[in-house]
Amino acid sequence: MTEVKAELVGNLWKIVVEVGQTVDEDDTLMILESMKMEIPITSPIAGTVTQILVAEGEVVQEGQTVATVD
Amino acid sequence: MTEARDTPSLDELTAALGELRVRSLAMGGPERVDRQHSKDKLTARERLDLLFDADTFVEFGLLAHQHSMTGAPTEPDRTPADGVVTGEGLVDGRRVYCAAYDFTVMAGSMGMVGEQKVARLRRKSMLNRLPMIWLLDSAGARIQEAAGSTFAGSGALFFEQVQMSGVVPQVAAMLGPCAAGTAYIPGLADFVPMVKGTSSMSLGGARLVKAATGEETTDHEMGGSQVHCYISGVGDLEVDDDRSCIAAVRDFLSFMPSNNRETAPRRPTSDPRDRRIEDLAQLVPTNPRAAYDMRKVVKRIADDGNVFEIKPTFARNVITALVRLDGQSAGVVASQPMIKGGALDIDAADKAARFIWLCDAFNIPLVFLQDVPGFIVGTEVEKQGIIRHGAKMLFAVSEATVPKVTVVLRKAYGAGYYVMCGRGYEPDTLVAWPTAEISVMGPEGAVDIIFTKQIAAAEDPAAARAEYAAAVRQTIDPLIAASWAMVDDIIDPADTRRVIIDALEGAVTKRQRRAWRKHGVPPV
Repeated sequence: MTEVKAELVGNLWKIVVEVGQTVDEDDTLMILESMKMEIPITSPIAGTVTQILVAEGEVVQEGQTVATVD
Repeated sequence: MTEARDTPSLDELTAALGELRVRSLAMGGPERVDRQHSKDKLTARERLDLLFDADTFVEFGLLAHQHSMTGAPTEPDRTPADGVVTGEGLVDGRRVYCAAYDFTVMAGSMGMVGEQKVARLRRKSMLNRLPMIWLLDSAGARIQEAAGSTFAGSGALFFEQVQMSGVVPQVAAMLGPCAAGTAYIPGLADFVPMVKGTSSMSLGGARLVKAATGEETTDHEMGGSQVHCYISGVGDLEVDDDRSCIAAVRDFLSFMPSNNRETAPRRPTSDPRDRRIEDLAQLVPTNPRAAYDMRKVVKRIADDGNVFEIKPTFARNVITALVRLDGQSAGVVASQPMIKGGALDIDAADKAARFIWLCDAFNIPLVFLQDVPGFIVGTEVEKQGIIRHGAKMLFAVSEATVPKVTVVLRKAYGAGYYVMCGRGYEPDTLVAWPTAEISVMGPEGAVDIIFTKQIAAAEDPAAARAEYAAAVRQTIDPLIAASWAMVDDIIDPADTRRVIIDALEGAVTKRQRRAWRKHGVPPV
């Protein structure tokens, strides 16, 4: 199981995957909004999304685990 | 006939010498060596074994030990090599000098004899124009020897380091503490890796800070890698342990020439020079608001995906990295849209300027990858001195005479376009992707300034603003810059690697001499 961490502080604008969904490495899982930019959080590995630990509209901290991929 | 004097035989003399060598090679003794290992640290000699190619290390000053000029008590038996192992050897077949401070001997403190040994290395480094490496693990100056006003004669090490700067590469690897004034060794070095958890540096150690100001802290809390590799920017790379630290030193050196009169060694590669990067266009969204990870772009362009990032955890809004392109060392300065939209602030300007100076000093060509919305503006950054820090980056990029190639991927706004080697900054080649937006600022920002009155007077200000923005957007098009021959070409993003390599090769004979001056007056 690999933890997906946010690389910076931002407002969680959109979650684009669901638990159980198969993803490739580098696929966008969710999108943060910060400094007028849409910043993707991508999957570090190919696998299945096992957990989504945040909700849209939430403020995500740098280093926070936002999802897990197996 | 004279009677034979009772002198020892050569065999006896060499045997005694052998014993002394064995004692000296044992450093501070098994107990202190164990203590060093129990802190997850290697000894100075184990580190040297990792640094140098097998069986190439030649030591100078093994038989040295502590002395005192003031008649203070000394411990010759307890101070083998006087706490610092010095010598030369080969790294990837090229000679370098190294001083490895030995924490098992008086906490690696810097004694008079040991420092004479290191001074000798610095001199050799300059005479032979070869790199100088420090492996630092030292409590600082040996106060027992240094206290008192004979201090008046000390300090030449930093003076010498300054003279060495830009002549030979200097590496200060932080493998333990480096307290007090000696922190200027890394402060003046070109590359400073730091081991997480065990290394630290600070101008005053925790005990001195307590005595001077009353502040309670620890050496680690004040000067560990979590401070210097993330916040202060003094550290260049945080590494997990001694082994990866030494590996990083070897990696760094592999990109460097031995001195400023040589070119960096080429490393042959099977990665085709004209390799097309078909997924680059997918990686970089056309929507200018959508961020992407520029590190992935750099990785795809570099030979074999091999990227050596300098200061990867500091000022992450700009990426500075050493790569090879068709075997040739190159320095990449790239915007990082993931962080602060890729906008430049004081730390990013410092980081980039320093890296540009490093590459230029050692004949390493520069590649600029632009997606920069400009400098961050506002009261906060003005108080921080964004003007002088930004000016420093202008200075560095203007001074650099190595081959320079600029690729505009998306945004190239305002002074961001200048400092990232825009047309006015002597790029040998300047190309743009079809998605490039070269402009004094983005369309939304521009309309509010140009059409303030018209928008205010409009019946529907929002609609008017959108209309004006669309009109401004029409004027931001790389084809316009290309039609004025202000960019050399607009390229298929998939060809970026080939275009950069061709451009660097085209500038390989570049010779640029500026007007004579003693030196410029760079803003800092």
